[in-house]
Amino acid sequence: MEKERRKRDVVIIGAGMAGLTAALYAGRSGLSVLVLESELVGGQIANAAGIENYPGFLSVGGSELISTVQNQAEKFGAVVNEFDAIVRVDLSAQPKIVETESAVYEAGAVILATGMKRRKLSLTEAARYEGRGIHYCELCDGQAYQGKKVAVIGGGNAAVDAAEYLSKLAAKLYLIQRSELRADAASVNRLRGHGNVEILLHTEPRALSGDKRLTAVTIFDRKAETAKELPLDAIFVNIGVEPNTALFADQVKTDKAGNIIAGEDCRTNLDGVFAAGDIRTKEVRQLTTAAADGTTAALGAVKYLRSLN
Amino acid sequence: MVKVYSMTSCPWCVKAKKYLDSKGIEYQNLNIEEDEAARIACQQLSGDLMVPVITANDKDYVLGFDKEKIDALLGIAG
Repeated sequence: MEKERRKRDVVIIGAGMAGLTAALYAGRSGLSVLVLESELVGGQIANAAGIENYPGFLSVGGSELISTVQNQAEKFGAVVNEFDAIVRVDLSAQPKIVETESAVYEAGAVILATGMKRRKLSLTEAARYEGRGIHYCELCDGQAYQGKKVAVIGGGNAAVDAAEYLSKLAAKLYLIQRSELRADAASVNRLRGHGNVEILLHTEPRALSGDKRLTAVTIFDRKAETAKELPLDAIFVNIGVEPNTALFADQVKTDKAGNIIAGEDCRTNLDGVFAAGDIRTKEVRQLTTAAADGTTAALGAVKYLRSLN
Repeated sequence: MVKVYSMTSCPWCVKAKKYLDSKGIEYQNLNIEEDEAARIACQQLSGDLMVPVITANDKDYVLGFDKEKIDALLGIAG
C-alpha cells in the first residue's frame, strides 16, 4: 500500500535541545512543524542526572529540562513523533522528502539536529558482553550493580557525572581515563568526595574476560607501561560521541569528523536545509549553544520559506 | 495485564511507556526502586535488574526498548 503523503512547513530531524528549540521557534512563527526522533527525546542529556550549567536552573534533571522544552514546542503546535523511524530523505528536492515507516512528508525546509551518539568501546570482544557487563545507560542498568565493582570509562563531563551516579550504587567505582580528565572542576571535586571512588588516569582497557558475563578487565597503564587484571562486574562506557549523520551524510557536506559544515547561520550547502546543535561544525558544543542553534536554524527556515512565496 | 518494570529516571523506561500509551495498551507500571516485590519479580523474570522489562505473561519478556520485539511480544500490528 502506498504511504500517505503529508505536507509540513518544517521537518526537524532530532529532538534534542537544538531540535526542540527549533520546533518552539518555528511553531511560534506559525509554521506547521514535525519533529522526528528515533532514539531518546533529549538526546545526550536524557541520561543526565543533574545539569548545573543551563541558565535559569540551579540544578535540573536532563529529562525534566527537555520535557519542559518539548511542552513549550507542543504548546505552539509542533508535533513530536518518536516512534516513526525515518527510512529515507531527499534533501535536494523541493519540497524536501522525509519518508518514515508510515508516511512520506513533503517539507518546505528541513532542520538537521541529530546530534551525537555515544561512541562504542572498540575492543573486539565488547559486543559479546553488551548488556552483560558492558553498558551505555547508567540510569537504566546501574541498579543491577548495587554493591558491585563497577568502572566508568571516559574523562569528560558525561563520564564523571555517570561515575558520580554509579558511586552511590556500587561498592567500588573506578573511573578509567586514557589521559587527563576533561570534565569541569566542580564535577570532578564532587566525584572525589565519594570514598569508594578510585580514579585511574593514563589508563585504558585492553581486554575483557568472563564466561557468560564480564568478570574482569585487563587495564594498561600508559605511563608505567604495565598491565594488570582488574576484577569488575560492569563497565559503563562514556568515551565520547560521534556525529549521527548516517541518514544524510551523502547529501550534505560534512567535515572529516563527519560534522555537517554550516556557519553561525546554520545554513548547509543545500538551500532550505539547516544544521543545528552538536551536529554542526563549531568550536563549543554545549546545551546553551544547541539552544542558540535551534533558534537560528528555525528563524533561518522562516526566512527561507518566505523567500519561496 | 501487561507489566512494565521500570525506574523513575530511566529514559528508555519513559520511552517504552509512552510507546504503549501511543498504542492504547494498558499496563501496570512496577517501579523496582520503590517496590521491593517488583524488584524481586523483575530479577526472577529476567535474571537481572536492568530496565525497562516488558512482559504480558510473567514468562516471555523484552529487555530494553526494542519496538519490533515489543510489537511481537504484545501482538501490536506494524
